[in-house]
Amino acid sequence: MSLQILFDALSLGGIYAIAALGIALIFGVMKLVNFAHGQFIACSVFALILPSADAVAVLGLGALPAGLLIPAILLFGAGLAVLAEAFVFRPLRNASPVALMVASFALGILLQNLLLVTYGGRPKAISLWPELGQPVRLLSAEIPLLQLFVIGAVGVILAGLALMLKRTRIGLEMRAAAEDFGMARLLGVRANRVISGAFALSGALAAVVALVLVAQTGVADVRMGGQIMLVAFIATVMGGMGSLPGAVAAGLALGAVSALLQAFLPPEARPFRDAFLYGLVILVLLFRPQGLFASASAKPRV
Amino acid sequence: MSKLGVHDLSVRYGKLTALSDVSFTVAEGERLFISGPNGAGKSSLLGAISGAVRAAHGRVEMDGDILSGHSPEGIARRGLSMVPEGRRIFRALSVQENLMVGTGLRRDRAAVADDLATVYAAFPILHDRRHANAGALSGGQQQMLAISRALMTNPKLMLVDEPSLGLAPKVVDEVYDRLVALQAQRGLTLVIVEQSSARAARVGGRMLLMRGGRVVADGDAASFAAHDLLSEAYFGDPA
Amino acid sequence: MSPQPTTPHQIRRRMAATTPVLLALLLLAFVLAATLLGDRATARMAAETLIRVTLVVGFWIFAGNSGVISFGHAAFACLGAYTSAWLTLQPAMKTLLLPGLPGFLAQAHWPVLPAALAAGLLAAALALISGAAILRLSGIAASIATFAFLAMVNTIWANWTPVTGGTSSVVGLARYVSPWVALGWAVAAILAAALHAASASGLALRASREDEVAAAASGIDRYRHRLLAYTVSAFFCGVGGALMGHFIGVINPDSFYLSLTFLMLAMLVMGGIGSLSGAVVGVLAVSLAVEALVRLEKGVTLGTTTFALPPGSQEILIALAMILVLVFRPAGLLAGREIMLPARWVTGRGTSNQ
Repeated sequence: MSLQILFDALSLGGIYAIAALGIALIFGVMKLVNFAHGQFIACSVFALILPSADAVAVLGLGALPAGLLIPAILLFGAGLAVLAEAFVFRPLRNASPVALMVASFALGILLQNLLLVTYGGRPKAISLWPELGQPVRLLSAEIPLLQLFVIGAVGVILAGLALMLKRTRIGLEMRAAAEDFGMARLLGVRANRVISGAFALSGALAAVVALVLVAQTGVADVRMGGQIMLVAFIATVMGGMGSLPGAVAAGLALGAVSALLQAFLPPEARPFRDAFLYGLVILVLLFRPQGLFASASAKPRV
Repeated sequence: MSKLGVHDLSVRYGKLTALSDVSFTVAEGERLFISGPNGAGKSSLLGAISGAVRAAHGRVEMDGDILSGHSPEGIARRGLSMVPEGRRIFRALSVQENLMVGTGLRRDRAAVADDLATVYAAFPILHDRRHANAGALSGGQQQMLAISRALMTNPKLMLVDEPSLGLAPKVVDEVYDRLVALQAQRGLTLVIVEQSSARAARVGGRMLLMRGGRVVADGDAASFAAHDLLSEAYFGDPA
Repeated sequence: MSPQPTTPHQIRRRMAATTPVLLALLLLAFVLAATLLGDRATARMAAETLIRVTLVVGFWIFAGNSGVISFGHAAFACLGAYTSAWLTLQPAMKTLLLPGLPGFLAQAHWPVLPAALAAGLLAAALALISGAAILRLSGIAASIATFAFLAMVNTIWANWTPVTGGTSSVVGLARYVSPWVALGWAVAAILAAALHAASASGLALRASREDEVAAAASGIDRYRHRLLAYTVSAFFCGVGGALMGHFIGVINPDSFYLSLTFLMLAMLVMGGIGSLSGAVVGVLAVSLAVEALVRLEKGVTLGTTTFALPPGSQEILIALAMILVLVFRPAGLLAGREIMLPARWVTGRGTSNQ
């Protein structure tokens, strides 16, 4: 039982952390709170299937073997985000964070309705990697195979990202830009390259979330990115706006709280789990407006 | 040909004119001090040269190439480097990472390694603390880091904004000693904003005096020393 | 007769006082034109537009004065709509649809006007409580928290079936909202917004929007002024929500979620968040454009062929327009200006010495 909760917390928290990183990366370099991130996730989900209004989805990209499918969908997410940056956010490069945020909200609505027009509004059944649904016995608990994969993948992604930020040129430039973009530019760091890079990473992370959501739920729904984006936002605020380690820590913490609420709330209160989660977060922020995990170097700059 | 040419440069913030029709040139290898009271337009001038601040009109040339209209990174890539007001080091990055941020524009890895060695030789404290978070350095050390970081881009021209700000006089002496030594060693052209004309006279070089967004005097820094009492009355404390 | 205003300051105040009057006249002209010249559909469109004026002007009272974008105001409309439903529906209907309502609400059968007032007051109370927490955050973080608040209210409403009916709709609301009723509330919202904006608190709030540091240095307690604006703002959004319910006659939680948030935001941004006139003009402009699009979605017959836009294209086009406005005219159509009479009219001299 308790081992089960631990795995639930880790896999849910891991996904929240990945989504929160997608938000925090972009906020870090350009102070944009990207309300379109949920739609990056939804678009990546729908990229798996062929356009139609039928109730059962016909796999398009999703029919590829995993070895091709995963890179293809990550590339799709990255490409979508880079295009969004080039066409919507680049012209707004000098706009206020509020204008950027409002524009991203409009972009999210735009993408959502493009999906509606192309695929219809009904959720679609979609079967991606059904063999991952099998449970595995682990000590005293039955863990779905998918959960193990998710936890493993999150670990690999976090390690890879940390390595990239720490060891590569673009990683160094992103960290410098996140702290003081103007200064980084004075040292020859190319703004476009860093921002495009951050969007590409963020989009690829959105695609990861999309794959996990589809494998977990077995449906494609135009609204499916919204809830997780909101949790990711909250994680970003709690983590201290733009701090990447903070976002990861807060994402994991929110996953743990969710899993605990799910396990220990009385059954009639469970549908309200997310409401409790959001309410709890507002309370936490009340006592620590700078975020739970904000350090001196990552204090909010808004 | 002069290293740096500034022609009729003006900067406005809304209705406020921070810099109006400033013109001057700097020769290769020269050391130019820019002095004047707060609000004289010194930082706006450096900002407009480096591309961080958009000029209302006028133009900036380096080696005869027009810099105006290029992005800050484009200007940095042409060989101009900036040590900004308040130093603006990347506090969450390590000392060595700070130094490496500006080397992205360079292709010659061996030369980068050489420069790193040079900088560490000039500022041994930075070498000792190269893995520490830059935010943990003292003010003087941060100033040395900011100067070294600018040097790592291998500039031909370096702009330094108030290197003495907030530092103890002894530390300022040290910073200037190193700066002058590095200039000689590397054949740099230096433009330094220095509020204290006495300090500028002691270090030596040419000096522009600014007030109200204009250049009001241009001459040898030492010749301003004669007017020291007067300028101190105008411009505040000597360092 | 009032004395002639002499100082520029007095003249400006007089000019500012003409803004709500002119806006009210503009809306009056709009309703007259729609009811006298148009068909029933046009009159309905006019009523709907004026309900949106109430909502967006309410929204502006907070967002326009504080400069903080709230994504949570649709939640106040939601609470307002359900409050009015709880208070006005036939008790027999409520035992059927909403068996979980507490006794006094289950028995209540209020007239519509007190119910609308109660809707506004309850929304204001919710704003006071939630705002006390949310508005302690800095600008962007506060925006995110309002979004969390919206999602929280939506989750509760969609799942608290015995009281809210859950995701299924509550039906049978008295459809009393004519263009004239909507006009009344829209004008009330405009007057309140103008009064608030001219009050000491409104001025202080705008000062803190322009320059946070200077405002704090001059002793402005930004948090208190924000909270006041948030509360007043929520009152009109609550009323607007009640009007929406009684306009369509059917409510469900998703009519007060992202689409409404987006529409309110789009109207405010396109009109220009910097002025009250911008909020009103934004509603009119977007509503007229939406009306044209709705007719296009139904199909336009030209000769023998029918052109129809696919559903959803309305939002796509509004979103595109909104992004274009943000890029090319970031201050909106009115760019922060108010509609007001020129100085020489308010001084009553016929000619201006200014």
